Amino acid sequence: MSNTKKAVKLPEAGGIFDKIAPIALLTGALLATLGFILTFTIASLVPGAAVNGVELIGDQMVSNKLLLSQNIFYFHVPVAIASMLALGFTAYYGIRFLMTKEARFDTCAKVVTEVALVFIICTMASGELWTRFEWGVWWAWEPRLTTYLILMLLVIGYFILRNAIDDPERRASYAAVFGIITFVDVPICFMITRMIPSSVHPVVFRTDSGMPPDRLVLFLICFFGMLLIAFALYRLRFRQVRLAERVAALKEQLDD
Amino acid sequence: MANLPGATGSTNAVSTTSAQVRPTGFHHYLTLLKKDLTQEFRTKEMLTSMGIYSLLVLIVFGAALAQTASSFDILQMGGGLLWVLIVFTSLLGLNRSFSHEKENGCLEGVLLIPLDRSVIFLAKASSNLLFLLAVEIMVIPLFYFFFLTTTTPAETFWMIVFPLLVGTIGVAGIGTLLSTITINTRGKDVMLAVLFIPLIYPLLYACVSATTAVIVGGEWTMDVYLPALALAGGYDVIMILLSWVLYDFVISA
Amino acid sequence: MNSVLEEIYSTILPAAPYVIGAYALIFLGLFVYVLIVVLGLKKTEKQMDVLEELLAEKN
Repeated sequence: MSNTKKAVKLPEAGGIFDKIAPIALLTGALLATLGFILTFTIASLVPGAAVNGVELIGDQMVSNKLLLSQNIFYFHVPVAIASMLALGFTAYYGIRFLMTKEARFDTCAKVVTEVALVFIICTMASGELWTRFEWGVWWAWEPRLTTYLILMLLVIGYFILRNAIDDPERRASYAAVFGIITFVDVPICFMITRMIPSSVHPVVFRTDSGMPPDRLVLFLICFFGMLLIAFALYRLRFRQVRLAERVAALKEQLDD
Repeated sequence: MANLPGATGSTNAVSTTSAQVRPTGFHHYLTLLKKDLTQEFRTKEMLTSMGIYSLLVLIVFGAALAQTASSFDILQMGGGLLWVLIVFTSLLGLNRSFSHEKENGCLEGVLLIPLDRSVIFLAKASSNLLFLLAVEIMVIPLFYFFFLTTTTPAETFWMIVFPLLVGTIGVAGIGTLLSTITINTRGKDVMLAVLFIPLIYPLLYACVSATTAVIVGGEWTMDVYLPALALAGGYDVIMILLSWVLYDFVISA
Repeated sequence: MNSVLEEIYSTILPAAPYVIGAYALIFLGLFVYVLIVVLGLKKTEKQMDVLEELLAEKN
């Protein structure tokens, strides 16, 4: 796993990233918890269906039901975006592997896809609860739900593919190719609600999104918290996988 | 490999005589395509097995829909059922087309020839496409015969040709790439299905909506048909471009 | 609380379990993953120590 003649720098465990990883995990967890507490206290609630009559609450005239369930949004969206970013890294490491044929990039791709899978499961779980509450059903064949389900199936297929091949180089090549193809589904997933209007998933990331500052701040808190958690999970798992690889290499050395 | 017409001359990479022309990529493509088609015409194995399989799937549909009430609108379900048929038949065909190559070691032989690996992809995808189209031509009248004679589809029914064409191109393209990957894994057929169906889903969705729009007809047909066809076409372009670029890595592994 | 205020706040109590549940599920998932990784890390470190001892003995 040493540098090649072209001095390709290989990602390695240890070093600056690993030192900041536990801090990142803690910070991320703290931020996310802060976000959770804030959703119940400070954040203004999103208005829902109209009611007959108007009341003065705080300093605003309110004439709609105030929705707490919208606050799932503060966790659901960051986790979803984290999963899509992780899949972007899968494609990146896949391309790097195909260009250089260094097995280290394949390891990175595997770890990143695992983190992506964890976040996809989190997204589906929170989305499931939100759907159940809002619409009373457990599933709806709605564009974004369906494309995201497809994404989950593709990532699961990635791991099934990895399991089904024994030769390491072939496994890495095929996994890299499949990872790149999976990434093509991510923009489709993201853009689908802009193309096909959906009642459940409104378009949030617009310049005129109309989110008042206190909600925006809360969203950013949760967003950066989740990103930090994702990064920390990736470094942790990468350290473990690298250690296992070194153990296997040592074992082989000892057997000689 | 000496039996391949036209390919024997190219194994001498740089020829000194001006009379021997180095075959171009297109030449390679035609040769590989002819090889697949010739093999198929001799045995007719894939066409017959895919054809019978489609017929059997139609019969299973018949059993599945046997208990529906007489007010059941088959026109609305017809498009979806047709595409279910096509997806499962193509899974069968894609697997078989590559298993031949692997069993007889043809793939190694073809890889010995100095050609652009993506040409292999094009040739394989084209032959898969032709076989699928042949099976579809056989199956559409059967489908009509079994399910659509009790009602009359709209007069836009002939426009079903375009979603079928676009969809089958996408299926053949991405299916060829995936079957090249899965032919070397354990659990080949199931692995192909696991990888293929999620990838083909957007294409399937678009083609089913286009097909159902033309079968059912009505005043909003074009509103649904044209965007769906554009979506399917765009998806095809992206996927085939990707497969073209990535095929080299897959077949050399 | 008059009836309008009641109606304005009517969805909050029913929604609270779902919001808490979503947050809890997300954290549970992440926590389970961290647990798996850390347990694997401990096991691998133990293996590494044994192997390094063996290597030291050999040399």
